[in-house]
Amino acid sequence: MKPTTVNLSSSRSIFALCLGLLSLMAPARAAVSRGFNQLLDSVVRIDVREVTFEEGSKRFSAGIGSGVILSADGLILTNAHVASPRAVEINITLASLEVVGAKLVGWDHWTDLALLRLDLDEVKRRGLKFAHAELGNSDKLVAGDTVFAVGTPYGLTRTVTRGIISNTSRPFEDLTGVDGYETGSFNTWLQTDAAINPGNSGGPLVTEDGKIVGINSRGYIGADNLAFAIPSSTARRIVDGLVRDGAITRSYVGLRPGALRDLEGFYALALNIGVLINSVDPGSPAARAGLRGGDILLAIDGQKVDGRFPEQLPPIQNLIANQPVGAALKLMVKRGPDTRDFTVITEKLESRVGEEWALEKWGLSVRKVSRSYARENQFSDDTGVLVIGVQPGFPADVAGLSRGDVITKINQQAVGSLEVIKAAYAGYEAKPGPTLLEALRSRRVSLYILKP
Amino acid sequence: MKISSLILVILGLTAGRVTGTPDIPALWAERVKSVVAVEFYVETETDRQPGLSYGTVVDNNGTIILPSAAVDPRVSPDQLKDFKVHRAGEAASVPGRYLGQDNLTGWHFVRVDASLLPGLTPITTFAAKAGAPAPGPALAEEVWGIGLRNKDEDFIPYIMVARVGLLQSLPQHSAIALHELAAPGLPVFNADGVFLGLATSSFGQSFLQFSRPDRGGSAVILVNVEESSVFHLADEVLPNLGRIPASVSGRPLAWLGAYGLEPLDPEVAQFMKLDSQGAVVVSEVLEGSPAEKAGLKDRDIIVALDGHPLPRFKPGSVVVSYIDRELARRLPGDMLAVTVMRGTERTDIKVALGDEPKLIREAARKYFDRLGLTVREFVYGDAVALRVKIGESTGVVAHFVKPNSPVAVAGLHADDWIKEIDGVEVKTFDVAVNKLAAIEADHERSEFVILASRGGETAVLRVKLK
Repeated sequence: MKPTTVNLSSSRSIFALCLGLLSLMAPARAAVSRGFNQLLDSVVRIDVREVTFEEGSKRFSAGIGSGVILSADGLILTNAHVASPRAVEINITLASLEVVGAKLVGWDHWTDLALLRLDLDEVKRRGLKFAHAELGNSDKLVAGDTVFAVGTPYGLTRTVTRGIISNTSRPFEDLTGVDGYETGSFNTWLQTDAAINPGNSGGPLVTEDGKIVGINSRGYIGADNLAFAIPSSTARRIVDGLVRDGAITRSYVGLRPGALRDLEGFYALALNIGVLINSVDPGSPAARAGLRGGDILLAIDGQKVDGRFPEQLPPIQNLIANQPVGAALKLMVKRGPDTRDFTVITEKLESRVGEEWALEKWGLSVRKVSRSYARENQFSDDTGVLVIGVQPGFPADVAGLSRGDVITKINQQAVGSLEVIKAAYAGYEAKPGPTLLEALRSRRVSLYILKP
Repeated sequence: MKISSLILVILGLTAGRVTGTPDIPALWAERVKSVVAVEFYVETETDRQPGLSYGTVVDNNGTIILPSAAVDPRVSPDQLKDFKVHRAGEAASVPGRYLGQDNLTGWHFVRVDASLLPGLTPITTFAAKAGAPAPGPALAEEVWGIGLRNKDEDFIPYIMVARVGLLQSLPQHSAIALHELAAPGLPVFNADGVFLGLATSSFGQSFLQFSRPDRGGSAVILVNVEESSVFHLADEVLPNLGRIPASVSGRPLAWLGAYGLEPLDPEVAQFMKLDSQGAVVVSEVLEGSPAEKAGLKDRDIIVALDGHPLPRFKPGSVVVSYIDRELARRLPGDMLAVTVMRGTERTDIKVALGDEPKLIREAARKYFDRLGLTVREFVYGDAVALRVKIGESTGVVAHFVKPNSPVAVAGLHADDWIKEIDGVEVKTFDVAVNKLAAIEADHERSEFVILASRGGETAVLRVKLK
């Protein structure tokens, strides 16, 4: 079973039911430090309305998550799957239960983190107050440490649950984990048994002194008390990067590592050195440099790497990702009995999910084919847009297009970017007429006519 | 098409009128001598699967044709064993010999042992006499065919009667009856006993089976594969009865190398003023193929072959099998003129058809029982499926993986592409076989490593032997 993203949806009926129960329970005084109280005052509920481009039209969906205020100037840390660039409206419920607007500063789906900023003008105008909390040091955690999760499970604002750190470095990579975007390749996760439910997403995992050691993010659906948080050591770097640049830039070379386990004997390696290269993405910088699946990576720019166990792989991936884009990396590689160096020039890491758009009069929603998606599907290049939805009865559906098709040409023009298809659509809107499309469906080429 | 079927209708009615009352039981007794039941085995690495098909006798040498669906196309001819032929209604059988599959008709040819010859009558005996009007059938004409019961009933023949509901080119001239009228591969006759055609594998007549032991249980949909309601007309069958394969491989096979033929959408055809005929888009022109050498390009739209515009079929998708059949009729070395639309330009391309590259069913293979794996030679079709250049295509394919065997436990799947064994690149099939044979023979070894590729991604698999 794979960990699944804690869902944003909340149930109002449960909320109403549970209020009655809560008043009957005696409050247990779990933590009373000043830091903890301040932490409680900096946790917020986040209501997000976002646009989706499904089924051939622009639609809006709403969700609830949690977040924590990090600074006096109103920065809020939450999950990328709570607030993404698709968000059109973000409302923050402060500890005082007052509601204020916020804007997205930036997001990073790879670590499932997003940064928001409160509308400070509105805060000032209305004379609102809020507290902020501090990031602690997650590297010092050990399994068994007591931690608390604070958030908005099922819309239950300001819920505190308690547990321990169950594991300090849980690896899992999920290539579609954050709303279809990749996540988990570059960091490990904290595992806790503190109760985390849908709506806790983006809320802090804290120690007794109120220091944030993690951002709660995922849980196993159907399991008991198996939840995961992004460690604060990772979050600190991402926050700094998002404040500075609005985005996190990473390097890509195209290596897919595997755990070496006890294959050292087979590969005649010293213990605790080497990463097994399971696969090399076709057409990637590493493939162009001549690397192959089955090679053993020994060192990156002279720094030895050890990838015996799956837990050790995300930091190694992160080491590569942290190199500047366009840098020349010297990879020391063992192949059979020989050891040699390969020079690989890094590229900018891109998501497999390209930009999305809806061409509403055609009832067609599309997503740009990214370089990564093209490689994954063995396309010769990244020309084209992927059909992600068609609306029944609209021209795209009537013409016979369906989800999964890749539109490669429109009116004989290659679809090199989303702009090409938007321009053709604008032409159609101005003067509706038959539009000729060429599309691929699992390698087979067909032509379609969109008719007004 | 319309005119010719109209003529068929008229002629059919005439033929029906001139004869007297036919004696069906007498006609029946003669005609069941032209059908047989054929049993065989498909031998795989670990088991023998029995096969059963019904066939029609086509000549005085005891040649029998079985419908194409009788054998799975992935099965290699050398896996087909122990052919046994039964006359209709007889428990006893005599041996048969597999001759191969014809590429145009798809028929499998089997030659029966001479001892059975006296009891058999070729179907040609019942064909309309030369010079006689075509036998039809006409629309709504009542026709009859032969079915055979199963082995436990000694393959007793039985009669099925149905009326013709539709005459259609698919692209073979076909008749679709209102219900089942013959077993696939067995003949259909008119009221005078004239041969009208051969039943094909049907569209799969389905019926609901209500559970008898479990009252109130839900009904199951079953597909009747033993009886068919569709038959190819005699003019599609009789001219091809002599296409006995020269070898079990079915070669020679002509090759064009145009991959992914997609029929032109009717709206697009209208837009391109091609709506009075058929047209197909060529998705890809294969590397090193005759089509590539002659200058055919990806996305060309084929509109004519040898100067004849492609017919317009209903449904339009039939045009693809029409082209396949036009190629199957030809031989390697034949010249074929292909007319294509490229953008708005019409271009004629002359292709010298080549020899079909080695097919998967012809590829060399070797089974390693202790490892639990059959490796197979990497062939042209693998390179096409995996989208790799022919020159880069070294390695072998895992053709069969025995469940719970060492390689299966290591995570190898059938159809995985094995690129390295023990860290050494597998350049040829022989290298792979020698390496695996050495590993299999070495009982001291505790493990070996395979680099396998699946879906464009490789993985190092560690196979534990102890």
